[in-house]
Order: sequence, then C-alpha cells, then structure tokens
Amino acid sequence: MPDIKRKPYRTLGLGVAAAALLAASPLYAADDKLVIVTSFPSDLTDVFKTAFMKENPSIAVEVVNKSTSSGVKYLIETAQNNQSDIFWASAPDAFEVLKGEELLGSYSKEVDGIPADLNGYPINDPDGQYLGFALSGYGFMWNTRYMDAYELPAPKEWDDLEKPVYHGHVGISSPSRSGTTHLTIETILQGEGWEEGWKTLKAISGNAKTITERSFGVPDGVNSGSFGVGIVIDFFGFSSKASGFPVEFHYPSVTALVPANIGVVANAPNEGPAQKFIDFLLSEKGQALLFDPKIMRLPVNKNAYAGAPEGLPNPFDGSIETKVNFDSDVSEQRYNVINSLFDVMITYRLDDLRNATAAVQAADTALAEAGSGNAEAAKLIEEAKALINALPVSAEEAADPDFNAIFTVKRKEADTKVEGRQAEIEQQWDAMVVENYRKATELAEKAKSLL
Amino acid sequence: MPTAALRRPALNVSVGPYLAAGIVVLFLGAFLVVPVLKVIQVAFQDPSSGAFTLVNFQDFFASTLFRQSFYNSVYVAGMSVVIASAIALPLAYFTTRFNFSGSVIIQTLAFVPLIMPPFIGAVAMQLLFGANGSVNLLLREYFGITIPFMKGLNGVIFVQSLHYFPFILINLSASLRNIDRSMEEAAQMLGSSGVRMFRRIVFPLAMPGYIAGASLVFVKVFDDLGTPLLLNVNTMLAPQAYLRISSVGISDPMGYVISCILIVFSIFAMWVSFLGMRGKDYSTTQKGGGGLSRRDLTRREAVLCYIVVLLILALVLAPHLGLLLLSFGTVWSFGVLPDGFTLAHYETALTSAWGFIQNTLLYAGLAGLIDIIIGTAIAYLVLRTNIIGRKWLDYMAVSALAVPGVVLGIGYLRVYYGVEMPLTGQPLATWWGIIVIALAVRRLPYALRSCTAALQQISPALEEAAENLGASKLRTVRRVVVPLMVSGLVAGFVTSFATAAVELSATIMLVSSEKDAPLAYGLYLFMQSAAGRGPGAALGIMAVVIVGLATYLSHRLVENARRNQAAASAPGGGH
Amino acid sequence: MNMPMKSMTGDGPAETADKGAGRVEPVEIDIRNVSLSFGRTEVLKGIDLKIEPGEFFAFLGPSGSGKSTLLRAIAGFGPTPKGQILLGGQDVVGTAPWKRNVGMVFQSYALWPHMTVARNVAFGLDERRVPKAETAKRVSAALEMVGMSQYAERYPSQLSGGQQQRVALARTIVVEPRVLLLDEPLSNLDANLRVQMRQDLLKLQRRLGITTIFVTHDQEEANTICDRIAVMADGVVQQVGRPDEVYDTPANAFVAKFLGTANVLEGVVEQRTDGNAFVLPSGIAIPCAGDARAGAGKLVLRPQSISFAQNGDGSLTGTVQSAEFLGGMIRYAVEVSGQTLLVDEVHNRGSGRRQAGEAVSLDVRHQEGVLIHD
Repeated sequence: MPDIKRKPYRTLGLGVAAAALLAASPLYAADDKLVIVTSFPSDLTDVFKTAFMKENPSIAVEVVNKSTSSGVKYLIETAQNNQSDIFWASAPDAFEVLKGEELLGSYSKEVDGIPADLNGYPINDPDGQYLGFALSGYGFMWNTRYMDAYELPAPKEWDDLEKPVYHGHVGISSPSRSGTTHLTIETILQGEGWEEGWKTLKAISGNAKTITERSFGVPDGVNSGSFGVGIVIDFFGFSSKASGFPVEFHYPSVTALVPANIGVVANAPNEGPAQKFIDFLLSEKGQALLFDPKIMRLPVNKNAYAGAPEGLPNPFDGSIETKVNFDSDVSEQRYNVINSLFDVMITYRLDDLRNATAAVQAADTALAEAGSGNAEAAKLIEEAKALINALPVSAEEAADPDFNAIFTVKRKEADTKVEGRQAEIEQQWDAMVVENYRKATELAEKAKSLL
Repeated sequence: MPTAALRRPALNVSVGPYLAAGIVVLFLGAFLVVPVLKVIQVAFQDPSSGAFTLVNFQDFFASTLFRQSFYNSVYVAGMSVVIASAIALPLAYFTTRFNFSGSVIIQTLAFVPLIMPPFIGAVAMQLLFGANGSVNLLLREYFGITIPFMKGLNGVIFVQSLHYFPFILINLSASLRNIDRSMEEAAQMLGSSGVRMFRRIVFPLAMPGYIAGASLVFVKVFDDLGTPLLLNVNTMLAPQAYLRISSVGISDPMGYVISCILIVFSIFAMWVSFLGMRGKDYSTTQKGGGGLSRRDLTRREAVLCYIVVLLILALVLAPHLGLLLLSFGTVWSFGVLPDGFTLAHYETALTSAWGFIQNTLLYAGLAGLIDIIIGTAIAYLVLRTNIIGRKWLDYMAVSALAVPGVVLGIGYLRVYYGVEMPLTGQPLATWWGIIVIALAVRRLPYALRSCTAALQQISPALEEAAENLGASKLRTVRRVVVPLMVSGLVAGFVTSFATAAVELSATIMLVSSEKDAPLAYGLYLFMQSAAGRGPGAALGIMAVVIVGLATYLSHRLVENARRNQAAASAPGGGH
Repeated sequence: MNMPMKSMTGDGPAETADKGAGRVEPVEIDIRNVSLSFGRTEVLKGIDLKIEPGEFFAFLGPSGSGKSTLLRAIAGFGPTPKGQILLGGQDVVGTAPWKRNVGMVFQSYALWPHMTVARNVAFGLDERRVPKAETAKRVSAALEMVGMSQYAERYPSQLSGGQQQRVALARTIVVEPRVLLLDEPLSNLDANLRVQMRQDLLKLQRRLGITTIFVTHDQEEANTICDRIAVMADGVVQQVGRPDEVYDTPANAFVAKFLGTANVLEGVVEQRTDGNAFVLPSGIAIPCAGDARAGAGKLVLRPQSISFAQNGDGSLTGTVQSAEFLGGMIRYAVEVSGQTLLVDEVHNRGSGRRQAGEAVSLDVRHQEGVLIHD
C-alpha cells in the first residue's frame, strides 16, 4: 500500500485534540486531487493508484471503498453536494442505476486497441456515460481439498450443480446484494430462458449451503473450505488461486463476458484528473496492470494481451466460449424484479427450498433404484418439481415497466401507473412460494414412501 | 473572601445546570434525534406519493417473512442472553467470591471479546467451528460426526453470546461485589449453601446488575447486523432492514419500517428491564456489614474451578485464537490448521496500518473523551440537580443503544451532507470529525452508565462540605466530584474507547476517504479480497492487542486508585 | 423510632409464642486453645473459654480485640481456626456453617432486601424442609414474640433500624438454634432504643433458655444484661467473670480501665512495721492489704474510692485541675505531687463546684483499692 498522505496535526497526538478539531483544513503536497468511489478491493485499487500517481505526481488520489450497493447509495445520498469524481465498479447495472438518477457525466474518447463490442455486447455505454475497462466472465470455482474429502467430481456445466451429489456443497450470492451475481443470474436467465433459467437457478440454489451476503463471500467460503463449489466472477477464482489457495476456476459453456466499468460522476469537482485517470486505465500500460497476480482480470484492450500470464484466457482469440449474447436492455428493464424475486423465492426461504429439493432428490434416487415401475410415484415427483419451479411472475410481467415501477421510488415518468407496494407484492409471492415448497416436500415424501 | 465566594453559587445554581443541560440537549438533538427521525420518517411515507401513511406498518405485520424475522430476532436475542449468562455466571461468581489467583486477568481477558473487530470474529469462528472448520474436521475424522455449531440461527447465537457476554460479566461482577458478606453468612447460618443459596440469596441480590447486563445483551443482539450478515443469516430483522435499505436501486420503505420497529422494540425492552429493576437497587440499603466475603478454595474445588474457567476462557477466546492462526498462517483452507506459518502478513499489514491505527486512536480517544464529559454532565444533572426533565436527558442518551449504526450513518449523511464546513467548504458529513461524533453518540450509553455509578457512590455530604467552605458549584465539581469519580470515569472512557475502536456499522457509511478511515474500516477492506485475509487478520490482532493493552492498563489504574481510596477510608476495621 | 414496644415476653403473646420458638435444651460452649491468624497477623491467641448451658455471656473488648472473630469462628465464618470449639460436647471446627445449627444476629442485621419480613423469617425453615403449614405457624409465632406480626408483608427497606433488628432476631430464633450469637446487635440503634432493646433481649434469652453470646465494645451493655463476661484485648481473654466481680477485682490495668474509670497508680509495695504500704514515686505512701506481695505493682483506685476531706485533714493534698459534670456527680482531676488522680463527688442541687487551682485535701479508702502485678 502506498504511503497515505497524513495531515500534519496527526503527529500532535491525542492531547491537542481540541486544537486538531479546528485545524481540519488539509495541506496537500499535490495541487489536484481525485476522489474515486469504488467497490474494488485495495488489492486492485492500490496498484492503479500507485502507478497513476507516479505518472501524475501532482494529483493526490483518494480511494473511498464501498460495496457496489452502498456506493450507489452513497452517491445518491451525497448528490446535492457531490465530492466524488469517479465511480468504479464491476456491475454495469449499478452504472445503469446511476445513469437513471442522472448522476454520471460523460467520457468519450477512442482508445486504440479497444473494440466497440465483444460478441455483440457493447464494451462501453452507448451514451458514453460509463466505460468498460476489464472483462469478466462467470463460472464456478471449487476447493480441490474439499472436493477430494467429500469425493465430489469437478463441475463442468450449470446443470452439474443441480445433481444431488452437490447437495449442501454449493455457495452463491444474492443478486440484490452483489452486482456480479446479478449479472450471473441474468446471464443464466437470458441463456436458458425465463422458465428454464429459474428452474436451473432453483435447482442449484436447492443444493446451496448458503446464500452469501457479499459477492466476496462466495470465493471466501470456497477458499476457507466452508463449502465446496461457488458461483463466482472469474477474477475471484484467478486471484484466489494466485494467492495460493487450493482452488480451481472453470467457465461453463453458458456464460457471458461482461465489462467491469468506470465512469465520471456528474458535477465532479475534479473533472480533469478524473479524465486523466480513465485515460491511464484504458491505455496499454494501465491495462497490463490487470495481470497483477492479486487482480487477474481480463483487459478490454486487445494489445495488452501480449504480456498476459500463462493460464489467463484471451477472450479476443476465442479462448472463452460464450453462448450468450448479453442484452443489457432486458437486464435493466427487469432489474429490480429479478432481485426481489430471487430473494423471496431463494434467499429468504432457502431452508424450505433446500428441504423440498432434498426430498425430491431422495424420491428421484429411490425411483431410479426401484426401476421405472412406479408411475404414481413418478407422477408425484413431477408434481413436486412443478411446484418448486412455479413462478409467481411471467417473463412479460417481469419486463413490464409499470410492474417494475413498484420497486423503485423515483418514477421515470410521471404517468407510470403504480398499483400495489413492494411489501404487499412480496408477501403474496412469499405466501405462494412457502406453500409450494411445503407441498412439494410432502408430495416427494409421499412418492418415496410408495417406493 | 466570604462575600465574593458565597455570592457565586447562587448564580450557578440557577443558570449553570440549565446551561449544561442545554448543551447536552443540543448535542444529542443534533447528532441523535434529528438524524434518526430524518431516516425513519420514510417509514411513514407513502412510497409513491410521499404523503403520510401507516400502510407500511400494516404491510410489515401482514408479511409472514417479517413476522418470522421478528420472531427469529427475539429468539436469537433471548437465547444469546441465556448462553451468555451461562458463560458469565461462573466467571463472575468465581472471581468475586473466592480467593482465586488471576481474577484480574480473567476479568481483563473476559473483556477482550468486546474488542473483537467485526467481520473477522465470525470469519475466525467459521474456520474453527464451521461445518468444515477445525473442530468439525477433527470430529469427522475421529468420530465420524459433525456438530452444527454455526448452522443458521445457532451460529448467530453462538457468536453473539461469546461476543457480548462481557456486558453481563461486568455488570454482574459489580453487583456481586456490592453484596455484603453478611447477606450470605446469614443464609449459611440458617442452613443454606451451594447452588441453593446462590439461587435464593446471591442471585436475587445481584439481579439489578444481571438485568442491566442482560438487557444490554438482548438489545445489542437484537439490533446487531454484522454477525448475522457474515453468517449469511438474513431472516432476522436487522439484516432485513439493512438489505432493504442498501439494495441497489430498490427503495423499499420496509427497510425504514424495520429500523423503526428495531428502535421501538429495543426501547421497549430497555423500559421493561428498567421497570423490573425499579426499587431493587439493594446495594445502597446494605450498610454496616463486613465487606466482601472471599472464601479460600480447597485444593479439589480450586482444580474444578480452574477447569471450568479455563474451558470457558478457551471458548471465549476461540475467535482470537482463530484470528491469530489466520494472521500467521500462509494458506488456511479446509484444514485443521493453516498449511504453514509466516510473518509476511504482519509486514503487509504494518505498511498500511499505521494511518489506520493513528486514526483509530484519535477517533476512539476523542469519542471516549466526549462521552465521559457528556456522561458526567448528564449523571450530575440527573443525580444532583432538580432541573425539569433531567430524567429525559438520561433516556435520550441511553436510547442511542437502540439505534442501529447504519441508521445513524444514513441519518448523518441525510442531515449533514448539505451543511458545509466553515473555511474548507467541505460537506460536514464527510469531515472526519463526524465519525468521532457518531462513535461518541453510539458509545455514550456505556460511558454514561459508568459515570452514573461513580457519582452515585460519592456522598453528597462531600460536596456540601466543599460548598460550606466557600467553593462554587462548578469548582466543587472540578475539585471534589471529578477527582473522586476518576476511577469510574476511566472505566467509562475505556469501555467507550475500546468498543468505539472496533466499531464499523456507522463508520462504513461515513468514511469518505481512505486517509480518514479507522482500523475497522481497514479490516473491512482487507477482508474483501482473497489475498487480504492474512493481513486483515494481522491488522485485527494488532487492534485487539492495542485496545486490550489500553484496557488492561486502565484496569490497573482503576484498581490502584480503588485500593488507595479503600486504604484511606478504612483506618483500622473492627474485625 | 417510636414503635409500639410490645413486651417480647409479655403475658399475652407469650402463650402463643411457646408453640413456635420454644425452649430448647441449652448446650455448653467449650472453646479450647483456639488460635487464628489473618495472614501474618495473629488475631486469636490460644483462647480457652467455657460457657455454661443457658448462660448469657458477653465478649467485651475494644475494636481489634478479636471478639467478633471469635464469635464468627463459633458460627463457622472466616478462616478455620486451630484448636477446638465444642458445642454440647461436639467439636464443630471444620464443620460448614450451614451444618452447625448456630444462630447468629449480624451487626448489619443482614435482612435480605428482596424478601418480605415473613419470607426472611421463613427462610431457615424452608432450608430445613419444614412443612408449609408448620412454617407459617412458627413464622407468625416468632414474629409475635418480637412484636413484629403486623409487619410480616413489608420489605426490610420499609422498616426502621429497631424493627429490622427484631426481624433479624425472629429469623434466627425461629429455627431453634443450639446457641445464639449476637454480633454488636445494638450498635446501630439510637440510645433510648438501645436501653429498651437490651432488656427485651435479656427477657427473650431467659425465656428461650438458650446459651447466648453477646459481642459488644460497650461495657454498660455487657454489665447490665450478661451473666458473665470475657474481657478481650489483643486476641487474648484478659479476664472472665461476673460483671461486678470483674469490675471490683480487675485482673490487670487494661481490664480496670476498660471497665469503668480507674486511677491506676504505679509504685512499689513496701512491707513496713505498721502494715504494708504502696509507695508512689513521689514518696507518698498509701496503706494496703497485709498480704500484699512486696515489689513493683499497680494500685487500682476507682474515683469513687477517693473523696474530698472536709477539714483539710485528708491523707493527701493536691490541686484541682479540671472538672467534668456527669449529672449525678462531678469528676475532678486533682494533681497530687505530679500525679493526676480522678476523684468523684456526688452532685446535689446547689452544691456548686470546686474551681481549678483550688487546693484540696483527699481521703483514700485504701481498702477499696486493688493491687495488681503485671
């Protein structure tokens, strides 16, 4: 970590605290400053901060670390007297929210080596309000020791994680808590379709040991061996491995490479330094810093891959297979509904879901062992599965702007109709989900008793 | 001399207390009441029109999820009190009732859990007691079983009781020390002994202290956010509030409704405990006895006591042990112990930690100072003056206990972001002083308790003597009251300081640049990346050591002061 | 402090009281060579004492004399002493307090503030698993005996000091202990109440017939109600005997001075032809008993054994230094050849008082003096 600029009064100690209170006016060595609000860990930010300040000694960089969600909250709460210059985070959705609140300024420069899109997904915001600086793909990482101890096979595809063998061994975060998880969920939903996607998600979550509170909770859990397999963004896997943990990362075939982003905050007090920082970040030199073993992210600048470390795939030469073309408009439209739906159906009712899943898995196994003779049992199991997978909302409804408006306070248009309140809707969903899970468990148990 | 000296008190009696009360009210109003009201007003607004409504509360009670969260929170808080009591009772009893070597060390060590910084305590506990933690790995290898210590609500109860039991220990020990030995001797004389005597005589007499501690534990656990979040338990009220307030893009009033309910229920719980304690402060009614009875232990009893105490301490210090291992370990993954040991994490931590440590000492020190000044002022106003509404000052300060840190943090941003600092034009909410104030407000109830207790022990006659000799009220307070309160003030300062040093929930909302960040925030940063776990743990250990050392030193200071006072006030006893 | 002082042994309530805390078979207390130290400080140094069954006995001494420590040792509190303490022939040293069945009333009363008066009194019976109905009967009898029946449902904090004292007493005697130990029971009461209370205590003790030890530093208290007293100082029993006996024939100067006021004169006993004389350093000789041992000694003379000679023809002459008005008498300090003697003179209305500096002549009733050699 670089030396932190200290105000001279700090050296005076506690004794003259009262005087210190008055002497808060800072004395910087640098002429300019730059305030960056970011969700990235200091492992990443420090590297860039140091390198940037080396090139621009006159600019003092201040990094304010917040989780993506509280970062967004922070910018919204402080907009009336904004002191932040740059917002720097993974999830494009967070930038979409800020864009919606009109809290982003613009940056429009062409940088050599950065294509306009990757497999059809635009790397930068078409309106130029935020830009991709690194690419992230989604997949799973697992702890090799854990897998050995529990004799689990390494998963290859999303479907693998639905298997009974992984029951209680999977970790995943919630889309409402983690922007990256939101992207993962959205990727699966777009790749497999609304109904099928949720089916996969519920089947995987039914095997979950826990739904972690932060996106980092997943790699952390895998690293420490709390659970075996986690659904994570690629760099968590790469950097954990680089730090020496006995983990592996794998991209399944349904995945999307989505840029991690940076944007200038509207009314930034230090607009100039902010632009300079982004210039630096996107330059070949800046992009190469992403290969730092603690960072391990994929640059958006093609030219940077010349110096890529071994084992890091190059998305521009097809090393990563991506079947999904991520549609960010769809994602943005149903953003809040997905968050809420996931929490109501999965996060808050994980125990119920897990029990139902376990019961169905047990019945399935019993059915397989008994041969295919018992039609009644098979029918009951199908009913149980249908109950688990039932959705309170259709894809069309989820994309309906009127319906989405229930979940936001600031209405985009004055004439948006709002019927019902979030808590009201969620209670209806919750009642349905809990009842379905209960019934499914009952049916599966009944089926098993028949075998 | 007499005319000049005697004229002054009259003026001070009438204006002084009101002036002091005014300042206190201003401070609490500006930094507690207004920000909190600003936040919870959302709970009373229609989400679409912004008009006043109670429909949000209706939604809260209509929701099965929220009702269940509420029951879970009450259950976890209640069970935590039970487990914490089971830990605190033997420690308090052994150290106050027997001649037990190392009582001071036990009392100090038992304080250490309070200074366990958030985020990492639960991490360490997962590594030790989690489903694939050291203990369960060993159990699985040798006995083929695992014990779900950390599963769901169990984990929260487990971690919370280990974290908060010192509140019961401290208060209960104080109560036990105040029980005159004749109370127990009378019972023994009448044929009572052992557990029966403890149940019928000792415990009921220590009840006020126990209730004070237990209600604190209940409220803290009820409001606590960090532990359930880290253990990924979200069907409890505080996490529900946090999740809803801080979700991206979702602006659901339910988060604020829950905050409101948290505050109201916490205040209700404290009020109930207050009712329960009323008229039961026995310490002042026991006088003229033989002081504290400490019994010598037989060899067998001593061995038994040591086993119990060591077991408890081992459990209580487990998070610290886990943290220590983590800080020295290279990679610790799915193993009983880390793969190897290294000092590298301390090196990493030290290069970045100095700024954090300086900030922490400054912030927590200032917060502690503010707390004992305001605490003394409130205690004095409540106990020694009869100004109108003085009790409310007390209630107002104590109600800070019931305000979740996040709510306070958001409240400060809402109220003070628009206010500019003089000279710099920087928003007040981003000035580091606001972090100090937040810490001070959050920890004020602890300091206030110590200040009140200290003042209660000073006979008003001592002040009257000073006034009789011509000292004004203000001078009396300065020259007589404060010096006599010193040990209580130090205790209050230490509690404020130590717990403020590791506070995160309000801080995280308020830190606006890394150079202003305190240690807990630094820990949070480290704990966000795979490579940061070791250095984070090292930083955590440093925090615990620094704060622990400060605590131990002031304990010694207080003990010495107490001994000197005791020696001075007892020139030759009758027994 | 004016509470209805129902006589504790009065004819009315006494009859009902007999059903409850009735007479117990008195036991002897035999203390044999008991020593005890707090760390390095020796608090009791080889105490030997025998207290007769049914006796009302006092431990009298200044603070720090070890009297309370000895009492607590009998009850089983404090460190285990060396030696033997026999209650009714049974050694209780090493027995836990709760197994001794020894009743003690604490100086602070030690009433439990969280229990009502009735619950306090019932406590010992609960511990003895006495059936509920009997407990109720005995509690009300005990409260009646101390005149506290109407306060049964109050809490201790609602009672005056004297009332608390009575409750403490009821609580102790209700369990019918083998012996009753009273640790400075009157010290927290005001003067008038103390006089009444000690009479009540005596009557109660006589009625119950229980062997009782009363610890006090107040000689008047001990003298007025106790059968015998043990004067203690520095962890040693100085003298044991009836109060008048100890007063009249103190075993040493400490006892002489602690019990009442005494002139303790140092000098030498000389055997002369005209009988023995006690010769003061100033050369003045006071006649003393014929069997007095020759050599250095001390002569104890109570102030009332010296009087002013009417016509200046007393055996000693001196000068009045000061006077203390004591109500019934005036106590003068008179300087006789460099030594100060206290002299009492009965005071009657209008009898006036001698002035400082006045030359006086004194008569000594030397046969009332006691010679001690220590």
